[in-house]
Amino acid sequence: MTAATSLITLIALPFLGSVIAAFLPSNARNREAWVAGALALGALAIVISLHSAVADGGVVRLQLPWVPLLGLEFSLRMDGFAWMFALLITGIGFLVVLYARYYMSPEDPVPRFFSFLLAFMGAMLGVVLSGNLIQLAFFWELTSLFSFLLIGYWHHTGAARDGARMALIITGTGGLALLGGILVLGHIVGSYELDVVLAAGDAIRAHPLYLPALLLILLGAFTKSAQFPFQFWLPDAMAAPTPVSAYLHSATMVKAGVFLLARLWPVLSGTQEWFWLVTAAGLSTLVLGAYLAMFQQDLKGLLAYSTISHLGLITLLLGMNTPIAAVAGIFHIMNHATFKASLFMAAGIIDHETGTRDMRRLRGLRKALPITATLAIVASAAMAGVPLMNGFLSKEMFYTEALHTTTPFPLLGELLTYAAVVWGIFSVIYSLRFIHGVFFGPPADDLPREPHEPPRWMRFPIELLVLACLLVGVIPGRTIEPYLHTAVQGVLGEATPEYSLAVWHGFTLPLMMSLGAMFGGIALYATLRRFLLNRVDGPPLVRLVGRRIFERTLVFLSWRLARPLEARLFTWRLQRQLLIMVVVTLLVATAVLWGTDFSLPPIDWSAISPGLALVWLAGMACAIGAAYMAKFHRLAALILLGGAGLATCVTFVWFSAPDLALTQLMVEIATTVLLLLGLRWLPRRIKDARSTVRERSRRLRDLVIACVAGGGLGGLAFLVMTRPLPDSIARFFVERAYSEGGGTNIVNVILVDFRGFDTFGEITVLGIVALTVYALLRRFRPAPESIQRPKQQRLAAAHDDAHAARPRGDSIPQHMLVPSVIMRLMFPAAGALAIYLFLRGHNMPGGGFVGGLTLAIAIILQYMTGGTRWFEARWRINAVRWIALGLLCAAATGLGSWLFGHPFLTSHTRYIEIPLLGALPFASALLFDVGVFLLVVGATALLLLALAHQSIRSHRGQGVPAPTVSRKEKS
Amino acid sequence: MSFMPDFALAAPEIWVAAMICIVLVADLFVPGKNSATSYYLTLLTLAVAAWLTIDAQWGAEAMTFSDMYIADSLGVVLKVAIYGLAALAFVYSRDSLIRNKLMMGEFFVLGLFAVLGMMVLSSANSLLTIYVGLEMFSLAMYALVAFNRNSGTSAEAALKYFVLGALSSGILLYGMSMVYGGTGSLDLGEIAAVAAADGDNILLLFGLAFLIVGVAFKFGAVPFHMWIPDVYQGAPTPVTLYLGTAPKVASVALFMRLIGDGLGAFADQWQTMLIVLVILSLAVGNIAALVQTNFKRLLAYSTVSHVGFILLGLMAGTEEGYAAGLFYAVTYGITAAGAFAMVMLLQRDGHEIGDISDLRGLFQRHGWSALVLLLLMFSMTGIPGTVGFYAKLLVIQAAVNVGHIWLAALAIVFSVIGGFYYLKVLKVAFFDKPEGELEMVAPGGYRAVLAGNGLAVLLLGLFPQALIAVCMAALA
Repeated sequence: MTAATSLITLIALPFLGSVIAAFLPSNARNREAWVAGALALGALAIVISLHSAVADGGVVRLQLPWVPLLGLEFSLRMDGFAWMFALLITGIGFLVVLYARYYMSPEDPVPRFFSFLLAFMGAMLGVVLSGNLIQLAFFWELTSLFSFLLIGYWHHTGAARDGARMALIITGTGGLALLGGILVLGHIVGSYELDVVLAAGDAIRAHPLYLPALLLILLGAFTKSAQFPFQFWLPDAMAAPTPVSAYLHSATMVKAGVFLLARLWPVLSGTQEWFWLVTAAGLSTLVLGAYLAMFQQDLKGLLAYSTISHLGLITLLLGMNTPIAAVAGIFHIMNHATFKASLFMAAGIIDHETGTRDMRRLRGLRKALPITATLAIVASAAMAGVPLMNGFLSKEMFYTEALHTTTPFPLLGELLTYAAVVWGIFSVIYSLRFIHGVFFGPPADDLPREPHEPPRWMRFPIELLVLACLLVGVIPGRTIEPYLHTAVQGVLGEATPEYSLAVWHGFTLPLMMSLGAMFGGIALYATLRRFLLNRVDGPPLVRLVGRRIFERTLVFLSWRLARPLEARLFTWRLQRQLLIMVVVTLLVATAVLWGTDFSLPPIDWSAISPGLALVWLAGMACAIGAAYMAKFHRLAALILLGGAGLATCVTFVWFSAPDLALTQLMVEIATTVLLLLGLRWLPRRIKDARSTVRERSRRLRDLVIACVAGGGLGGLAFLVMTRPLPDSIARFFVERAYSEGGGTNIVNVILVDFRGFDTFGEITVLGIVALTVYALLRRFRPAPESIQRPKQQRLAAAHDDAHAARPRGDSIPQHMLVPSVIMRLMFPAAGALAIYLFLRGHNMPGGGFVGGLTLAIAIILQYMTGGTRWFEARWRINAVRWIALGLLCAAATGLGSWLFGHPFLTSHTRYIEIPLLGALPFASALLFDVGVFLLVVGATALLLLALAHQSIRSHRGQGVPAPTVSRKEKS
Repeated sequence: MSFMPDFALAAPEIWVAAMICIVLVADLFVPGKNSATSYYLTLLTLAVAAWLTIDAQWGAEAMTFSDMYIADSLGVVLKVAIYGLAALAFVYSRDSLIRNKLMMGEFFVLGLFAVLGMMVLSSANSLLTIYVGLEMFSLAMYALVAFNRNSGTSAEAALKYFVLGALSSGILLYGMSMVYGGTGSLDLGEIAAVAAADGDNILLLFGLAFLIVGVAFKFGAVPFHMWIPDVYQGAPTPVTLYLGTAPKVASVALFMRLIGDGLGAFADQWQTMLIVLVILSLAVGNIAALVQTNFKRLLAYSTVSHVGFILLGLMAGTEEGYAAGLFYAVTYGITAAGAFAMVMLLQRDGHEIGDISDLRGLFQRHGWSALVLLLLMFSMTGIPGTVGFYAKLLVIQAAVNVGHIWLAALAIVFSVIGGFYYLKVLKVAFFDKPEGELEMVAPGGYRAVLAGNGLAVLLLGLFPQALIAVCMAALA
């Protein structure tokens, strides 16, 4: 197996194991553990076998194409530093699996546990072995995810759920920040490949985006490594099963943060920003964590805060900007992983055997658990930094560096020294609490369970780790030194400094500090013992606010901020929504004006004739009135709308476009009438609410907005129209209307000739619309509130009822007597006008469309004055047939041109002399126009019928359930 | 000049148009329960259309209908994505439609009309074609929202959607007329040429402002998002599913053709406007989603925030950014389809999933569908391993590469906030105690589709190369 294939196997093994474990039956605790243990051991073996390849600064690489378009390869890269981490992850991983076999109870769903644990191991290996920063962020988020699942493993307890959630939110968020930082880094360097990035240190530090990138990356690292002020998630994560804590908080999860700091140390460190940010975070975490650890009553809580403190130490060392400090940091990563894993496991055994982790209840366990006690004592000594332990060595290096560090502010150097000693004292105190409080003194007799030594193999991982602590502490040169060198070379490369791991350096100042801290700690512990033991959980003086801030933020974001925001920004009311849309559009349009030297083209006011201006003023007044009345009086609004339309018609006439004017006029009348008919079925006008000031000001606001928006649109239209259009199609029509279409009424020629095909489509649509309206209204059921007869009819009926001589309904046929007689007399004239308009349409204002509309209006007028019943009794036109006939006529004309070998709808123009009438234009378009005429009449009449018929229906249906009515009507 | 346009180039559109008529008529005359014929004909239509599109238009760069219609790779990607998402929507919808007695041929006819509109939009090379396509698809959508005639909320939603949509179309049209006034052409190529030559054209600037408003409405970007929650909640869920997926791709099409192709030269101006839209959409969408208790409404607000991300990619104004926006829209469509399908296919006490709490105990009752939900929510959050991660990565990268670091950072912050409510859904589904009836009502085939949907989200998340390549090739 080559080194490169070993790498991919190394990554794949845990994930493979995860899948296998997930499918094993839930009661197969042994098989699970065998599979997981074997795979972890296999991975460990691979890591060990790879040592030779990386020992002398060598790098093993493997690249597979993944998303080459993004410059992403699936890239694995193992140098000495990654090797060290891989060793910790797989080694301690294996021990944790072994330990968990005995720790987990048979009732727990074990497959899930091992599945998550192995997947987590794989993700963590992915983080340390990624040769590509995006891929690193990918695996980084996966570790957050799997740690979430592991912490929340016992999800039936609320603490586990909360702890898991908090861990995920904090570390997941940090991971996204990290991703952002990596994107910026990639932007600076131009590649995400770690090799390229590591080689570009100077360019990165000099880049203006260095600080944002640094901040984002540090945010990721600090959240993961529980650095102040993000430390608060870690203690809550103690709700996880102890093997998980032992794994996550010693060798993996929290180490990912410091791993990243060390990984990017060559490119990011060495600047003031790095120094201040990283040391500040590290130093505060260091002291705070140790201080808080002293006051914990929960064994795991103590270890959790101690973990925070030690991570602070590593961060601080990496922040000091000197290679020696970085070496110390890397060294401490290894040491901390060893002793902290063993301590967590020991705490787990105590919990497992006694049934409690409360240090107020635990004492004198030395007798019941002699071997475990010994192991735990040695491991605690390492944690406290007692000589001949591995913890001592890295602590000494830290003290040396603390004394020698050079900063622009001498005061800070001194502060660092004192903080280091204070930290030493605190560490000794909490270590002593762990040792002395739990194992010494008279044996407790009120424990939930009678403690016994755990099974042989449950203790084995601790033994192994403690042995490592001791060996490293006593003979560092023969044990750890070459491996540390390998790791350090991976980070520092050429810049690896000279350092020595000797146990004895002589009576140096750092040793004095160590001893002072130790004795100070012992003395202080002796004094404070009772005080510490009898306290409730939690420290004095410092109230930890991080967690509360976090929860407050959550509540604030998800509730306090979000609710009013939603209430304000969202509305169910359509008017509001429209208002927002119009206002925003106005704002955007105004924003465009901002900063441009824009002015409307000059207007020659004197050129505007006062007559037209008056018409326009009237039109504008009508438009504003219509908008204003729309809510209060629909009829008035409609009439005013008609007024505005009329002003437009007059304008057309004014500018010598009578054809346009006539078309517009007819359309205006027809639509107004149809709208009027529809109005009948809308609810009554809303009660005038002019009373309150609020109402009035709101309406005023709406009015202003409407005027501004309308004015703006008008202005823009003016702007467009006053620009010379380069090549307008209008000229084409004007020039050719007569020569090619044989008519001088351009609108009509466009309709029936130039754009005949469009017209054909349009009349088809018109026909369909009429049919659809008819089909829809056939089953129309008026709203209950509008089913009542109109007021006028009710008054008339009441009048009839009051007079015995008058039969009911007598008054109604008469109340429109005069108009109806006039209209009946006018009907033939109107019909003649329609035909006249139609015939002359080719050259003069008129045409099929206008003629049809005229006839339709005449019909509508009959209906309006005569009443529905009278009208329907005399109505002989089958509207649907007219529509069909019109359409066929138009189509036939179009097809007719095929007979003569021309394309569809080609027009033929000719004038025919007809006796009496004179020369009539007879373009083939005329036939087409007949079709238009027929269809317009038919469609309008059908619409009318559909709308008007309702008035009979609803009254007939009064008092009868509505559905029956509609069914009856179908026939 | 040949008078006859090259019809063959527009074969997919012509095919779909013809098939719409056939489906309409077939539904009338072919006997059979629950419009099965229409359903299968519709799927056939989409499949053949996909084949026609890829076969005739991929890699092409040709125009027809007096240069109003363009056949190019971008159009192919957009259209095929639209077919796929529409087909997915139809497949998911069938069971729900039958159960709610809404299974009528009109659903498919309207759905296909919307597809046709989106197709025209995707291949538009003129303001006119854009508008025709846009209206065709919008009108069909209005009708679909009102499809359940007996539901008051459905009618209300449709009415609001229609009124607001008509206003926005009016604004868009006004913007188009300004652009025409400023350039004297409807052809996007010519507009681009004038825009490049005449950078201070005030009419174009005005037109641009109106166009952006119209486009933002179609996207549902804040502050033009008002219709989204109403319509998503009010419309029948099959329609919501449809509305929430393919039209997002169509909106990208609208943007790329209208703004990207036509007014690319004004990038400075529209970038500013888009940045505002992005920030507002991310903020309002995410924060408002936090307080939602109704699942569909939550998804509606989350859509608004995802629109923010799509616009973030488009905002970059680079090929990379457009490709990122396109990729985001497509993958979001796939993810959202699954999420809405969950609402339809699961029933709590005989009703569709309404509140988020209706999902409680999903993991215990239907483990696999809970896992699918997990994948979908992870993808929407942007968690690695799911396709949502790459979608976010691409758009943020695009923003970073044009120097908008702070905007990218803001997007990240808001995606964190977004993660919170997706997790809330998962928490309910996985950890809350199961109570009452929570049933998977649809037959096995639907479960398979749902599982496939979840798997697609996962597989695209692990191997996104192919899809990214397609999106990039479309813009190259």
